[in-house]
Amino acid sequence: MEEPAVTAVAAEEAAPEHRTVVLSTFADAKDAYRSKDLRQSLYDEGEVVMADVLVNLHGEEHRSRRRVENRMFRREVFERYERDLFPAVTDATIAPYVAAGRVDLVHLGHELMLNLAALTAGVDRPEGTAEETERLYAYMMSFIEGATLAHSTKDKAVQRGVIAQALDDWDAEFLAPSIARRRDLLAREAAGEDVEVPRDVLATLLRHADELTLAPEVIRREVAFFLLAGAHTSATAFVRAIDHILGWIDEHPEDAAAAVDDPLFVQRCIHETVRLNPSSPTGRRRALAPVSLRSGIDIPEGATVVIDLQAVNRDVTLFGADAADFNPRRTLPPGVAPFGLSFAAGMHVCIGQDLAAGVVQRADTDPGSHLFGLVTGAVQQMFAAGTRRDPDNPPRRDAATARPYWGSYPVLLG
Amino acid sequence: MSYRVEIDRDVCISSGRCVADRPDLFRFDDEELAEPVPGATLPADAALLDLARTCPSGALRLFDGEVEIDAG
Repeated sequence: MEEPAVTAVAAEEAAPEHRTVVLSTFADAKDAYRSKDLRQSLYDEGEVVMADVLVNLHGEEHRSRRRVENRMFRREVFERYERDLFPAVTDATIAPYVAAGRVDLVHLGHELMLNLAALTAGVDRPEGTAEETERLYAYMMSFIEGATLAHSTKDKAVQRGVIAQALDDWDAEFLAPSIARRRDLLAREAAGEDVEVPRDVLATLLRHADELTLAPEVIRREVAFFLLAGAHTSATAFVRAIDHILGWIDEHPEDAAAAVDDPLFVQRCIHETVRLNPSSPTGRRRALAPVSLRSGIDIPEGATVVIDLQAVNRDVTLFGADAADFNPRRTLPPGVAPFGLSFAAGMHVCIGQDLAAGVVQRADTDPGSHLFGLVTGAVQQMFAAGTRRDPDNPPRRDAATARPYWGSYPVLLG
Repeated sequence: MSYRVEIDRDVCISSGRCVADRPDLFRFDDEELAEPVPGATLPADAALLDLARTCPSGALRLFDGEVEIDAG
């Protein structure tokens, strides 16, 4: 077993609030994620979008809001999305690109996941036009930049102003009408009228407004957060998964058919992709009190804890000697999820995990009733549409962020 | 002897994973927190360990007598 890796930056002489403890083993990371005395601090620089949103709350405030919002993130709701709502949206989004015979996966991934995330967040598009969707797409990309501002390579002060303005404009065009429609439906439902209130985050927040007492600007950021998180994390996983699968098929051509017709195989590819490429390469927490992990690591009050997910998810003692490689056929020890700790654990475990990545397979999983996750469905549809690399247009990385995102990934279809 | 199951209400975040995986063993209470179904027949210890490990918050706790089991 590896020794727990502890790095105390400027260790003994530094004040506790300036110390950084880096955790790089699976057990320490899981222990830290579950500690009630370690507070989320990954999004401290992204507060223009992330202030007071669910993933940034702590203690009772977090539990109260999560209890309410979790009602929208139940498995039966996901099943309805996966079986009834998402396939048609995915078909409609992909169809024009299949007809054109080519697409940039980065744009398609965000467009597709935006369409799906708008449904779950509760952002209406009454015009239903491509221009309206392009405007919502631009707002979403701005919110993504806000949430990941810590890793931006642009002038952060300037970007904060730009993103704040985008929030105002998005609110006026999209959010306010969405709120008005749901308030009207809720009032009519309360009056005994037989109406269908959407099952989305915004409607859930409005339904429980008295219990949560959220200020309008918090509702605004919360819905923006669900829009960006739902779209961005799934979109990046979508592009990366297709990249990994294309590479896997190069080496294992016998699996080419499985990418088209075996959703269990595709889901394992998604999980393996997410393990190797967590949305954020690190988790970050701040110690509200002294914390002792089970391994014996002591974290002083005020210290910053960095969870090195790249190392945790490539731990050879858990994932095998080829832990750093993409291998959807790998076997795992009991208690270790195929996606490692990419969805975190503890109070901030990803609320949309099952929606995006489905339920983890077991030996007795029945494909007929299994929940595969929306990324699995979208990636499988892409391979059914004949996705292959464009030899004349190689993919390139995104230079606007230090995060390892693809900036462009052209593929041919058909 | 089989393990005993407790839900730590101060830790539960209502993820619903235990309820979705084993509705015969867990349900939601009035506050939307998980609770064991009264009188449910518990499965083998290995299955309980699996459930405890997949509880994201660590609220699902197992005991062998009075000794808490470290599910990891």
